[in-house]
Order: sequence, then structure tokens, then C-alpha cells
Amino acid sequence: MVQLTLPRNSKLVTGKTWPKPEGAAKLKKFKIYRYSPEEGGQPRWDTFWVDLTKCGPMVLDVLIYIKNNVDPSLAFRRSCREGVCGSCAMNIGGNNTIACTKGWDEVAGNTITIAPLPHLPVVRDLVPDLTNFYAQHAYVQPFLKTDTPEPEKEWKQSEDQRNELNGLYECILCASCSTSCPSYWWNGDKYLGPAALLQAYRWLIDSRDEATGERLDDLEDPFKLYRCHTIMNCAQVCPKGLNPAKAIAKIKHMMVERVS
Amino acid sequence: MSSGDWTDPRPMSPHLQVWKPHLTMAASITQRITGVALYFGTFLITAWVFALAMPAKADGAPAECYTVIESIISSVFGQILLVLWAAAVLFHLANGIRHLLWDGPHLGFEPKTASAWSAFNYIFAIVGAAAIWFAAAYI
Repeated sequence: MVQLTLPRNSKLVTGKTWPKPEGAAKLKKFKIYRYSPEEGGQPRWDTFWVDLTKCGPMVLDVLIYIKNNVDPSLAFRRSCREGVCGSCAMNIGGNNTIACTKGWDEVAGNTITIAPLPHLPVVRDLVPDLTNFYAQHAYVQPFLKTDTPEPEKEWKQSEDQRNELNGLYECILCASCSTSCPSYWWNGDKYLGPAALLQAYRWLIDSRDEATGERLDDLEDPFKLYRCHTIMNCAQVCPKGLNPAKAIAKIKHMMVERVS
Repeated sequence: MSSGDWTDPRPMSPHLQVWKPHLTMAASITQRITGVALYFGTFLITAWVFALAMPAKADGAPAECYTVIESIISSVFGQILLVLWAAAVLFHLANGIRHLLWDGPHLGFEPKTASAWSAFNYIFAIVGAAAIWFAAAYI
């Protein structure tokens, strides 16, 4: 259901402005979403000042700087710091991306706003609850399904067949795309969202997979697939440069082709 | 998860409140809005065609209901409505063709291409509506 405003318990208030670091050469202002389940109350925007000369080039470096030097209670997910784990996905400067590969110099404006991935329950600060997102990933059964007996060695695939998977297998499940999608915001309980659908397509066109019919059956309802209206937010934000919108269009095409 | 019945004690993270809009997103919502507008605009066109088909009066003057529709359409409000309607038709047409190319041959999915195409659709609608009005007024 479409509701353009935030629920009452989610409305943001102005929070704390943390002191500027002393003797800083190059200061930048960051507005960061804060919520603590122990303190409760409304979530708030805290303002931090970061000395960019003492901080690495990425937005993740900024968050680590703040955690180390200003407020150790700031919570965010991170692991690989090189764009392969997808943990540090968040909304930076109004677009979803992963903090570890986004340079702070790439974000326009005097103040950089950092919020958790949109339209999700917030566990703490920049950490959202992705339970539903993972359940949707599980729903598309992202693994090889076959009926024929296993070959003695590997399942073989030609070079062309393997190339079909380029632009799909690279997905790191960071959830930037799904949580950028207005259709997913309004119908995230019924619409699978771009990430899960890109994964679904990755298995639908895998030459080794033998469950194509079943997989399409599982997507055939008014919401799971067809809530995609090609708004293109997914492709605009994907930090890996993938195109879920195109993958979804191709699934829709497969749906039409199998009945005609 | 719809926000209308948000029962979670935890807050919902901001969405439209923080989102930085871009062209493809704008074109998508414009497609929806112009579609709804065209739906209602069709009533006006239907009323006009209907009135046109009414038999004229004995003295050759148009039927009464035609005069009413005519007066609505030629009023300032009616004219503004018609300009907007023309722009809506043109936008919906251009963007509709794009949807065909998206869903058929899967063309124009690159974010940069899609953004440029969205911009073109807006320009097409505005320039097209202006050209129609110019032609109606001076040709």
C-alpha cells in the first residue's frame, strides 16, 4: 500500500551536533541517521564533522573515523571493505550504494546525508532488518535444479552459455536495488523485488538448470514479478553496475513466450 | 511491507524523505499521472463527440448540449485543460513507445540511455503541445 509519509514512530527529529575536531585542516559535515532500541524514542539526525585529511577516501572510512574518534556507539555493518560482501549498503546522499566503494568526494553538496537502506525496520542506526529480503532470495531457489542423473564430472556449459550469466552472477546481495524501488517500498511483502528477480533470471537462463518451467510458475502472480513498472531505480543505483530492470523484462518475456 | 499498517515497534527507515529523485523515476510517475489524466480527459472528448452527433435545431443552430460543451472548452479553464491534455497525450505516447521497446527487444535499459530518453519524452511533450497550439492558432 502506498503511504508517502513515515509512520508516527519513524518521524525524524534533529539530534545531537557533535563537536568539530580540533585543529582540523579540511572539515566536512555529515548528517547521519541514529536510532537506538534501548533509548527508544524517535530516530534522529546527528551531525558530525570529519577531518578529511585524517580519513580514507571512502564513505566507509568516514564512518570508521567517526566510530574511532567521535562516537563509538555508531552502528553499521561492514566486512570486506572492497565491494564484494555487500554488508555496508546504505543510503548515501539520497541514493543507495555500498559505503566502501563510494568516495566522499563523489557525493555532491556541502553536507552528506547517510541513512539506512530505505523503507525497512531499523535495528540500530544504519543497520536495517533484511529478514524479508533474504526470505525472498530463498524463495527463488538460487541453486542448480536438475532431473537428469549427475554426470561423472562437471555439468558442462559452452562458452556462449556461460556468457549468458555475465552481468547476473556478480550480484553481491547488498539490497541496494530492492530497497531503492518504489514498487518494493509499497508492496515489499508481495513483490519479490529486483535483487531476488535478478537471481531468479540468473537460474532461468542457466543452460544446466532443468527447472525453468517450475521457476516461471513460482513467479506467475499479479505481484511477485509484475509489480515491476520499469522505474529503473534498481539499475540507477546498483553499485556493481548490474541491470535488474533488464533481467526482469527478460523474465516477463519468457512468461509470454511459454504461453504463445 | 506497507507503511499504512506499520505495526513494528522499530522505526521505518526514511524512503521518499531522503531519496534523491532522478529522471527515470520522474518519467515513471509522470507516465502514471498522465495515464490517469487521459482517462478523465476521455470523458470530455466523449462528451464533445456525443454533442457533435446531436441533431441540430430547426434553424440550423447547433444542439443545446453542443453549445454547453463548446463554452466549457473555449473558456480559459478549458483551454488550459486542453493544453495540459495535449502534453499528457504526447508524453504518454512517447513513454508508451519506450515501454514497448523495453519489453519487446529490451532496448534502452542502460541507466544513462534511459535517463536521456526520459528527458526527451518531457521535451517531446512540451514542444509538441506548443507546436499543436501554435498550428491551431496561426495556420
